[in-house]
Order: sequence, then structure tokens, then C-alpha cells
Amino acid sequence: MDKKKEVLLEVKNLRVEFGKRKKRFVAVDDVSFHIYRGETFGLVGESGSGKTTIGRAIIRLNETAGGEIIFDGKKINGKIDKELDKEITRRIQMIFQDPMASLNERAKVEYIVSEGLYNLKNYKTDEERKDKVEKAMLDVGLLPEFLSRFPHEFSGGQRQRIGVARSIVMEPELIIADEPISALDVSIRAQVLNLMADLQRKKGLTYLFIAHDLSVVRFITDRVAVIYKGKIVELAETERLYRNPLHPYTRSLFSAIPIPDPRKERAKKLEVYDPSCHHDYDKDPPKWVEIEPEHFILANERELEEYRKMLAKNGVQAIG
Amino acid sequence: MGKGAVNKLRNSIEDNLKEDELFEFAEFDEEEAKRGGYSNYSYWRSTWKVFISNRLAAFLLILIAALLLFTFIQPQLPNQKSPTKIHNHPETNLPLKNVKPNEEFWFGTNSIGQDLWARVWSGTRTSLLIAIIVGCWEAVVGITIGALWGYVRWLDRPITEIYNIINNIPKTIVLILMTYILKPSMFTMIFAICLTSWIDMARFVRNLTIIIRDREYNLASKCLGTPTRRIITKNLLPYLVSVIMLTIALSIPSTIGYEVFLTYIGLGLPVSTPSLGNLINEGRLLILNPSQRYQLIFPAIVISIITISFYILGNVFSDAADPKNHV
Amino acid sequence: MEDKKVILSVKDLVIKFRLRGDILTAIREASLDLYEGESLAIVGESGSGKSVFTKSFMGLLDANGWIDSGSIMFEGEDLAKFKTEKEWLKIRGKKIAMVFQDPMTSLNPLKTVGKQVQEAIELHQDIKGDEAKDLTIQILQDVGIHDPERRYNQYPHEFSGGMRQRVVIAIAVACNPRILICDEPTTALDVTIQAQILELLKGLKDKYNLTTIYITHDLGVVANVADRIAVMYAGDIIEIGKCEEVFYNPQHPYTWALLSSLPQLGVKGQDLFTIKGTPPNLFYEIKGDAFAPRNPRALKIDFVKRPPYFQVSPTHKAKTWLLDPRAPKVEPPESIRILRQQWEVGNNG
Repeated sequence: MDKKKEVLLEVKNLRVEFGKRKKRFVAVDDVSFHIYRGETFGLVGESGSGKTTIGRAIIRLNETAGGEIIFDGKKINGKIDKELDKEITRRIQMIFQDPMASLNERAKVEYIVSEGLYNLKNYKTDEERKDKVEKAMLDVGLLPEFLSRFPHEFSGGQRQRIGVARSIVMEPELIIADEPISALDVSIRAQVLNLMADLQRKKGLTYLFIAHDLSVVRFITDRVAVIYKGKIVELAETERLYRNPLHPYTRSLFSAIPIPDPRKERAKKLEVYDPSCHHDYDKDPPKWVEIEPEHFILANERELEEYRKMLAKNGVQAIG
Repeated sequence: MGKGAVNKLRNSIEDNLKEDELFEFAEFDEEEAKRGGYSNYSYWRSTWKVFISNRLAAFLLILIAALLLFTFIQPQLPNQKSPTKIHNHPETNLPLKNVKPNEEFWFGTNSIGQDLWARVWSGTRTSLLIAIIVGCWEAVVGITIGALWGYVRWLDRPITEIYNIINNIPKTIVLILMTYILKPSMFTMIFAICLTSWIDMARFVRNLTIIIRDREYNLASKCLGTPTRRIITKNLLPYLVSVIMLTIALSIPSTIGYEVFLTYIGLGLPVSTPSLGNLINEGRLLILNPSQRYQLIFPAIVISIITISFYILGNVFSDAADPKNHV
Repeated sequence: MEDKKVILSVKDLVIKFRLRGDILTAIREASLDLYEGESLAIVGESGSGKSVFTKSFMGLLDANGWIDSGSIMFEGEDLAKFKTEKEWLKIRGKKIAMVFQDPMTSLNPLKTVGKQVQEAIELHQDIKGDEAKDLTIQILQDVGIHDPERRYNQYPHEFSGGMRQRVVIAIAVACNPRILICDEPTTALDVTIQAQILELLKGLKDKYNLTTIYITHDLGVVANVADRIAVMYAGDIIEIGKCEEVFYNPQHPYTWALLSSLPQLGVKGQDLFTIKGTPPNLFYEIKGDAFAPRNPRALKIDFVKRPPYFQVSPTHKAKTWLLDPRAPKVEPPESIRILRQQWEVGNNG
């Protein structure tokens, strides 16, 4: 329990905008959360919610318009010096969604997996590089003989593994997994999830797991944040959240999860979220509040009252 | 499991089992299970196959290869005459002007007694040389600028402005101006055409680059810290090969066309240097005279073969290089 | 189910494709009976052939594919024997309609939504002009598009993803088909929209008396909408039965693997159950059970002889040698057993 308590990544009041002047679009609006070392942190939302943008902002693919991203005590967004940039390249890596689009079709697998190493040059001899690459392939369950082949010769699941090998060969501490299994078949998803869990145990990795599939998130994450239109509406330990969702958006999202059990699925009641009905934020804007230990929610005073009552009904003691 | 292992297992079972033994568990090799089926497809091999399956393209490829080969071998063959030498009648010592094609002069002679056969091949050599040099320039400069233009975001605005300015000046005017200022010569011709021909290639490459630059594999390369130059060479350019080949293939006949045009308006190569443009120009004056039409027909045939061949070959190759056409 | 009429009957269908110089057998003697008014789900992963199978009912196979043998009986005609577009035009849209996965590419971006639905009506039913327009507005309302008169004149890009899919469904339903095939209709949509679209499809099925086929890889979707489930693997239907039967009492090892690899059934901290390897290469002829090379509990006979259907109940059958009386008893994985217990409790309780 204690080793989880070190904060590896902290995001404070993050704001990301796209477009210029009149067509300015705010993708991420005042988002704050932190990730402990060694945990799997889930970021859940639907399309357009901004979850992918957050992931890309952390790894510096997108520019931030406000707020701070602090990794292991150092600020990593905005302008940073080359040394720090190089350090982040090694310590934070990303796994992409579409295995068909995330590998360079015209390059051999060996080049694809070695690409990061070529950039970092953190090996002395070519032998050493080859060693690292082979080890990475074995770690993801692929045979080293596959290194001389091209991506199109592999299936979706295998390609995704190559993508994973490409990131872990850098020996990162934080891996941002942007919907890593959405594009895979059902039975292959299980393989990749097992692989990720296995690697986490072996190498002490920390994951930021971005997804829209709530059943997967429940299985693999320790804590999860729900994001709606650029704002995080609720954040809590996974089990706690799934058992007692408070925010109406969280509730509607969870009620829509398909359950592979005919009886339960047909008895299910769908909740629909309509921001204009559920909230009245004109007079009383919401704040990001810790309603019980490690359970945050975006709400104004009136809503907080209700939530506390709901928690009390479920026998949970709220803060304040 | 891999196909080999499955077949082995199957054969051992088929050979010698009684009914009740069939319902026992088979050996399951987990490692073998990983060696799943994967295909044995090679991009370039498939491209070649599709290309060759087009009969016309195959024929033209052979034709143009033969033509090119012959063009450069021709001077080494026995009994070839010099293209500039004026041949005189052995007895009268008058120049053998406008002699129709016969055994000695296979293409006949022109109006000042030069061997047309030698002139045609010499002219083809010259024109092709110009076209190839321009093509190479176009490729190198066009691709480099196009890739940077498309990939590096802050370059987009400035280069687009430059492009708009340059593109709006008709190429012909630039060609005429340059040739006028620098006086006709092979260097001038090459320089003038190179000045504007890279633009189209650059724009092509830039448009395609913009389409693929935000694909996930390029984002992945950025996350891995790959510098821009390597992203361009290893991630982007290999995808553009088919387009690049097409543009180069089409630029060769296009350059020859410019050269002919410039010669028409009197700004081509000096008459002492035979080129297809010169030959056509000299020949066109005689088009009305049936007995001397051959002086136009022979160079015209050569130009037509080159133009049509490169055009078709370029298009067929470009189609073949598209993975969607790989059957 | 037995007393319902069969409206589509597929027998021993074989579909092949010419690809990169080789011949691939995508559907290997698959048979299926579709009952009137039911909701059938075809579940399978990529490469199983589920899309190809249903596309053949409408003559939508790619140019390099063909029906090699077998029959598709519909309204007294064998669709497998159709050769001309003219023949297919009688069926396509009119009698059998399809809803595709991606609503963005299914609609014409240059025509208004109302026009597209109305065209479908005018083409397939004998109604024109104002009458057709009224019917269009009615259908738009039925599929849950609010303010249909105004939205009639809007273009597809003015609709959200879920709304566009509703329009696509409207077009399909406007023709009053007998069979509606939905090919992964909700895969590209968000979870909340997905639930709404499924509810819509269920409602339309009742209202328009449709027989629907759902193609999907998502077992949660299947649990919601299906009366019967057919599981496809490597071009064959390896298990078929009523929804509850397949979920609570699956018999084929592939169905076990499919169900137990779901994260919903997983236990945190433990590995999920997975099937090793990848689907077989359909360029090669497959002898025996196609799933055998990946099945840790395969019998020797699985490698040499293709299993026939074994009946588990009058409505449930599976193609696996494990159901043969001579086969050893094999226990399904833990998670399946738990599901089965819940079902038995529900049955008895």
C-alpha cells in the first residue's frame, strides 16, 4: 500500500485549446489529477471528451494553453530544455490505439522497435542494441525471429504487441495507453490486457489508461477519472466508483455498459444525462471537491449536499 | 499452431489410430500456437507483378529500354557517321542535300547534307540528357522542399506564399526570359526549365505529406524522439514512392516538349547541337513537300515513342504501386 | 421457435475469394435457418466470415468473391443462383436491407437527409410526392429524430454520429424490408448512444415486424437484443442456440474462450482467460475442426475429421466432438461454470 503513495505525475489546472482566435475550441478545461507510481490510472470518457488530448499533452504532442504538468517533481509542459526533453522521451512512452496505423508499414519490425534507441543512443555497441530489442520482443511474447519481417505480415494483436515492445524497450516509468485495445478483437484484447498487467508487475510500470470501454477499465485500473466535454466530473478508486457513482454523467455512463448476461442486461434501466436538466450552474458554479478520501467530484454546494446524503445512505462517511 | 506442426500431428493421427484412440486428447504445443499464420507478401514483388501483367506496359517497357539502349550505343556501332559532318557527293563534290532514305543514309540527309540517322540519335541523346537532368533536379529539390513544406508546420505559410507568386508567373515567360538573358546553350536550357519545374513536384509531395503526417505511426515516431529529417526519409517518403515515380516519368516528355517549344520560337539550342527540338524545327518547314517530309517524320516518331511510353509507363507503375491494386 | 416460419434458409454455403493470386475459402459450408420475426445475432471475430456471410444474401460480395456452392432460399428463390444486378435489385433494399457500421460513410454528404430517406421510399414503395414526404417525416420521427420537419432539410454533416446512424436506419426501414441486417451498427458509436440505438432497433423490430440479423463481436450487445445467437469461426457456424442457452450453457470450446476472455467476467489481479494463437489461414484447406490448433483440450479426432452438429436441446446445437458420447468429459473454464450455476439457480428458483 505504501509504495503507491509516491506521486509520479501531477496535472494541475490543465487547459488545452485548438484553433485560432474566433475558432478557438477548448478541448481540456481546468483538469487536475495525480497519478501514483506503480498504479494504473484510468481516464474514461466518450468521443470528444478530451481524454486523448490530455494524454497527448502529457507526452508533449499537444501544446498546453494553461496549467502545469509535473512529472517526478519537474514541470514538463511549455518550453523546456533539451536535456529534460530527452529525459521525458525515455521516461514517458505511449501506446496507440490502432495497430494498423501505428506502425510504419515500410520499415522492418527491427527498425520499428529500435527507433527510440537510435534516438537516445543509450547503448554502446550494436550488439547491445540488438540485445535490448530481442529482450523487448520476448517480454511481449513475440519471437525474435519476427524482427526481420514487416508489419503487414502480422495480425492486429501481434502488431499491438510490437507497439508495446517499441515503448518498453525505452525502459519508461510511465506509459500512456491511448485506447490500446479498442481496435482489437475480443479474444485478443484479453491477451494484450494480460500482457500489460504482466509487464507492470515485472517492471514496476505506471499506466495512464485512456479508454471508453468501461468494463475493461473496471478490470484493469486502480483509480479512474470520468471526463465529460473537457472537464473531469468524478475521480475515485475504481471499485468505489463503480459501486457508488455519484455524478449523473458517471451514472448514465455506467448504466449504458453492455452486460454479457442476458437476464441482467434485459433488466437494466438506462439513465440519460442531460446537463441542462441535471445542473444549474449559472448562479452557483461547481468546484472540484474531495467528498471522501480519494474521491473527487465536480459539483456546487447544493449538489454536494445531495451527494453526501447519497453516500450516507450507502453507509459511507463523507468529508465535511 | 504453425502449419507444419499441425500437419505433422494430423498425419500421425490419420495413419494409425483406432476409433477409441481418436477421442483422446491431442498434444498442445503452446509455443507453436504463437507461430500463427502470417502472409508472405512483398510490396515490391506485388508491384512488379501487377505492373507486368499489363501487356501494353510490358511491351512499352521493352520498347523504351531498347530505344534508350540503342540511343547510347549507336555511336559505337560500325559505319556510323558524324551528325555534323556534311557529306558531299563523291564525284560532283556538292553537298548531298535532301537525299531520301537509301542504303547509305538510312534516314536520308537534311537540307545541308548531314546524315539524318546520326542526327536523330544524337538529338535524342541530347534531349534525353536534358530531360533526365531536369528530372533529377525536380526530384531532389521538389521532394525536399515539398516534404519540409508539408511536415514543418510553421513553414507552411511562407512557402505557400512563395509558391503562389511563382506559380502565377507563366512558365513560358520565365523560360523565354532566361533564354533571352543567358543566350541559348544547353546549360541555359537546363537552367531555365529547372527553375520552374520543381514546383509541381513540391506541391504534390506537400499535399500528400499533409495527409499522412498526423497518422499514428508518425506521432509514435515523434514520441520516440525521432528528428524531423528521419521522419521524412523513413516514414513519409516510402509512401510517396509511387507518386514520385509518376511525376518523374511524366516530366521527361514534358521537358522534351518545352525544348521543342523553345526551339520553335527561336530560343532553343544552337543549330550546331542537334536536338530533337532542332530536328523538328528544321523538318516542319518541309512538311508541305511530300518528298522531303521524312525529315520531320523520323524525329517525330522518336519523340512520340518517348512521350507515349513514359506517360503510359508512369501511370501503370503508379497504379501498380498502390497496395489496393495488389491482387 | 419450431412453429415459426423459416423465411431464409442457407444450406452448405461455400464462398471463395481470389486474393493475391491464391484462393481463400471464406465461408466453409455454413448452414442457417432464419425464422420470421426473430432477432438473430451472428457473433464472431475478424476473419470469421460474419460480414461476408450476410453480404452474400444481398449480392454485395466484392468483385473478387463468388458463391462456389450451396443455396440461399428466400421466398422460393435461390439467391445463390442470382447472376445479374437486375435480379438483385428485386431483393436489395426492398426485401432485405442493411445497416452498416460507419454512419459517416453510409450517407451521401451532398443530399439532404430528408431527400435520401424519401428517395428510398419512392424507389421501393409505390408512393410519390407529398405522400412520400409525409411518410418520410413519420419515419424520421419513428427513429427518434426530434423536430423532423426541420431536420428533413438538413445535411448529414449537421447531425451527430448517433443521429446519422438513426438516419441510416430510417433509410433501411423506409423500404419496408422483410429482413434487416445490421452489420456492427453501434461499434463506431459512444456507449451511451449505443444503448439508445439498440433500444431503437428493438422498438422498430416490433413496430415494423422485422426479422433482424445483428452482426457483432460485442457479447454485451448480443445479450441485449438477440433471441438466438450463432457463433461463427473460420467461416462456419460452430454453435447456435437461444440467447440464454448460448450464454449460460455454451458447449463449443471457442464459445467458452470468447465468453471467458471478457473483462466483465474477469477477476481483478488475475490474468484473463485467453486463447493462444490466431485464427487459421483460410487460404489453406482446413481438415477437421478449424479451432483445434488453438484448443488446449483438443481431441485427436479434431485434427482429422470435421465435427457435425450435435444437438444439446431442440433449439441448441454445436459442432464439437466433445459432445460425442465417446468423448471424455471436459469442464469449461471457471467463469463459464459460474454463469451456468446462475442460470440453473434462475431456472429452478
